[in-house]
Amino acid sequence: MPKRGQPGAEIVARTFKNGLKVIVWPDHDIPNVALYTWYRVGSRNEAPGITGISHFFEHMMFNGSKQFPPGEFDRVMEAAGGANNAWTSQDVTVYTDWFARSALEIVVRMEADRICCLSFDSTSVESERGVVSSERRTAVDNSARDFLEETVYATAFVAHPYQIPIIGWPSDIERWEIADLQSYFRTYYAPNNATMLFVGDVTPAQIFTLAEKHLEPIPAQPRPAPVRTVEPPQTGERRVVVRRPSPVPLLQMAFHAGPAGGPEAEAEDLLETILTSGESSRLYRRMVDRDQVAVGVGSYLQRGFDPGLLLVYVTVSPDRGAAAAESSLVDELARIAREGVTEAELSKAKTMHHAAYWRALKTIDGKAEALGSYEVFRGDYKKLFTAPERYGKVTAKAVQEAARRIFDERNRTVGLLIPEEAAEASSGGAPGGGKK
Amino acid sequence: MKRLALLLAITLSVPVAASRAADIQLPPTRTVTLPNGARLILAEKREVPLISFSAYLQGGALTDPEGKEGLAALTAEMLRKGAGKRSAQQIAYELDTSGAVLGMGAGVEVTWISGEFLARDEGLMVDLLRNMLRNPTFPDSEFVKLKQQSIDALKSEKDDPNNLLTEYGTAFAMAGHPYANPVEGDEKTLERITREDVLAAYRAHYGGDRLILSIVGDFEPKRMEGVLRRAFGDWARAPGTRPVAPAPARARGKRVLLVDKPDATQTYFWIGNLGISRKDPDRDAVDIANTALGGRYTSFLNTALRIQSGLTYGARSRTLRLIEPGPVAITSYTKTESTQRAIDLAVETLERFRKTGLDSLTMTSVQNYLSGLHPTNYETSDQIASILAGLAHIGLPVTEITEYTGRLLALDSAKVHTVLRRVYPAREDLAFVLIGNASEIRPVAKRYGEVIEIRFDQPLIDTVSRAAKTR
Repeated sequence: MPKRGQPGAEIVARTFKNGLKVIVWPDHDIPNVALYTWYRVGSRNEAPGITGISHFFEHMMFNGSKQFPPGEFDRVMEAAGGANNAWTSQDVTVYTDWFARSALEIVVRMEADRICCLSFDSTSVESERGVVSSERRTAVDNSARDFLEETVYATAFVAHPYQIPIIGWPSDIERWEIADLQSYFRTYYAPNNATMLFVGDVTPAQIFTLAEKHLEPIPAQPRPAPVRTVEPPQTGERRVVVRRPSPVPLLQMAFHAGPAGGPEAEAEDLLETILTSGESSRLYRRMVDRDQVAVGVGSYLQRGFDPGLLLVYVTVSPDRGAAAAESSLVDELARIAREGVTEAELSKAKTMHHAAYWRALKTIDGKAEALGSYEVFRGDYKKLFTAPERYGKVTAKAVQEAARRIFDERNRTVGLLIPEEAAEASSGGAPGGGKK
Repeated sequence: MKRLALLLAITLSVPVAASRAADIQLPPTRTVTLPNGARLILAEKREVPLISFSAYLQGGALTDPEGKEGLAALTAEMLRKGAGKRSAQQIAYELDTSGAVLGMGAGVEVTWISGEFLARDEGLMVDLLRNMLRNPTFPDSEFVKLKQQSIDALKSEKDDPNNLLTEYGTAFAMAGHPYANPVEGDEKTLERITREDVLAAYRAHYGGDRLILSIVGDFEPKRMEGVLRRAFGDWARAPGTRPVAPAPARARGKRVLLVDKPDATQTYFWIGNLGISRKDPDRDAVDIANTALGGRYTSFLNTALRIQSGLTYGARSRTLRLIEPGPVAITSYTKTESTQRAIDLAVETLERFRKTGLDSLTMTSVQNYLSGLHPTNYETSDQIASILAGLAHIGLPVTEITEYTGRLLALDSAKVHTVLRRVYPAREDLAFVLIGNASEIRPVAKRYGEVIEIRFDQPLIDTVSRAAKTR
C-alpha cells in the first residue's frame, strides 16, 4: 500500500558533539509533538544483585534533577499540555513525551536536565521501591501468565543476561543502594548512549537550535562495556513446571531465534505471522478452531540486540488439558518445519505486514516508535522505509529454513502452569488482623 | 513494564506555560438518514489509502434477557462466524489476505462492528459488513465452539483481579439496574445460552432503524453514499422494542462487598457511587474535576497513594457515562498488609477534594492538560469514525468535540467545585468492593460498612446480585 508522496523524505538527523543523535520528522496534521528518547540500556546490562535496576531508572528519571525537584517533571509537563510515559525492555529504556507544540522548549529543558543532572534523593528512592514492588506484585506475582513467562526465560537462558526479569528479582528490588544507582546512571544515561526522536508539528531548524542550547553542552561519558556473553547452543529440551493457583492451565513454548538486526529477521517475522496472526493463522485454526485444545494462542518474537526467544503462549482449554494442547502444538510446529508454507500463505503474511506497517505510521506517536526502533536496533532509521521491499523479497524456502532452524526439539523450552488450589481456604477462617 | 500514565503537587510556583491549543478541525461530515431510519455519517480523509468504519446497533447488552446476560456479546461475535455464502474460515481468510482489521462486540447500550480496510478493498468491506449484519448464518458448530471459548476466557480472566474489578464494582453499586450486568455475562449465564437464543436476539434487535454507520477515509463521499444506500436502505426495521434503561438512583449509606481470592497477595479496591450521564450539562466541569482527582499522573489520588507514599503502582478515578448516569469510582491496589492505609488515604483524598475543590494553579494546569492533548484523540480515521458514531448514538453534535477547548477554558474553579460536590459521593454514601485474601482483610473491610462476602471463583452476576438482594 503506497502512501501518498515519499514517506520520510522530510526527515533530518544530526549527531551533536557529545555523541547525541537527534532525528526530526516534521508532521503538521495536529498541533502536537511526540518525543521519544531511546537509551541503549535494559535488563541485558544487569548482573545478580542489581537486577531490575534499569527498570528502576525508568521510574527514577521522574524523581528530580538539578533544576526540577522531585515531582516537577510531571507537574510541569502536564501543566503545559503534555503527558509522558516510559518503558524498559531487555535491551533499551525508552522515555516518551506527548505534548502541545507550545510546550516544546520546556520539555527539552527538562529532558536535558535529567540527562545532565539527575538527583538521587533518598526519600524518593525508598518511596519508589514501594511503587516498583507494587508493580511487580501486579504485573508478575498476581498474574499466572507473567509468572510462568519469567520462569521460562530463566530456564531458556543459562548464560546470557536475557535470563534476568526486566522488573528484577524481589530481593534485589529491596536492596539496591544509592551508590549502585549513581554508578549505573553515569555509565548508561549519557548523551552518547541515547537517540532522541521528535515527530510532529516542528521544524528541524527549531529542534536543532534547542538541542544546541540545552542538550549539546551535556558531556559524553566513556562508552559502556559491551555485553560479552553469548548464549551457548541449547542441546536438549528443557521443561519447567509451575504449580500455583490459576483459573486455567497455561502452556508456553520458547525457542531461541535471531536478533533484530539478523539476516533472517524478516523470514522469522513472517513465520511468526503465519503461525499466529489472525483467525486464519496456522495455530489458531489448528488449536482453537479444529482441535479445540486452546482458548487462545499467541506469540511474541523478541527482537533485541542479541538472539532472543520466539515464545508461543497457549491458554489451555480446561476440559482438554495441557497434554493435548502440547501435542497439538508440537505437531503443528513440526509440520511447518517439514512441509514449509504455501505461496498463498506467504503472500497473505506479507500483506498483513504491509498493512500493519502503514497502520503503525498513522500517528506521530507510531512514527516516533517505528523510527527509533530501526535506528537503535538496525543502526539506521532509513531502513524503516526499505522494510516493505525486504519483506517482499522473502521466499517460502527462507521461511521453511527459519522454521527448521527454530522448531528443533533441542532448541525448545516447555513451560507448564498447573493450577492448584490456594494453600489455605479463607472463608470462615479466623480473622488474621493483618501482618505487622 | 510501563510506568503507569495516569497525578499533583500544587504548592510549587513554576510558571504554567501557555499551551492553549486552538480548537481542532474534523473533516467535513455528511449525515444521511435513510427511510428505514438507518443513519450514515460520511467523512472524506485522504492522507493514507485507508477506510475506517464504525457501525453501531443501538440496544447492546440492554437487550439481554435476565439470566442470559452475555447474549448480545455472543451474538455480535457470531457475526464473523458465517455470513451470506461465507464460512467463518472464509471470512477470516479474506480479512487476513487483504490486511484488514475487523472487531466486534457488545457494549452496554450498543453492539458494534468496526474495521479498517485498504481503499482498494472497499467492495469487499461493504459486502462483508452487509452480509454480517443482514445475513449471518450462526452455524451450530461455530456456536458450540465460541460459547465454550467464551466461558473459558471468562475463567482465565480471573487470573488477574484488575481485569474484573470495574465489573464487580459496577455490579455491586448499581445492583438491580440493567447497567449492573457485565456485557460479557458470567460463566453460568453463558452456559444457559442456546443457539436459538442467539437467533431470537438477532431477529428482534438487528434492523435498519437501529443502525448508525460512520465511515471515514479515502473515498468519494457521493459515490460511497450510493453504495451504502444500496447495501442498507432496504433493511427492515428491528421488530423488538429498543430497550431503554431507567434512570438509576444514587444509593445511600456505606456498604462493602468483600470478594475472597485466597491466593491474592494484594487487595484490589473500587470505591464509588452513581455519577453522571454522557449528556449531563456539567460534563466538561466533570472532565476537569476527574482529571484533577484521578485522571492523570499528578492527580490528587496518584500523588497521595503512589508518589508520596509508594503504597501502589497506580490510583485513579473514572466516570462511566452512558445515556443514563453510570458509576463514578476510585480504583487502586496495594499489598495485603497496607489495605487499610491505602483505602483510608483514598477516602480522605476524596473528602478533601469535595471540601476544598481545585486551587487556581491546578485548575489552569488541568485546562492546559486536557486542551493540549485533545487533538491526539482525533488524529486518525478510525478514531474519528468511532467518535462520530458515538456522538450520533448519544445525540450530541460534532461541536461537542470541535468546541471542547473553548468550553473548558470558559470554566472557573468555583463552578467546578459546585459540580464536583454534586457528582462525587460523600464518605457516608460509598460502596466499597475489595478483592483480596479475605482471611487477612476481613477486619479491615468491616471498618467501612456492612460487609457481604462472596468468592472470586464463583460466577459474578448470580453471586453479586444475590448478595446485594440479601442486604
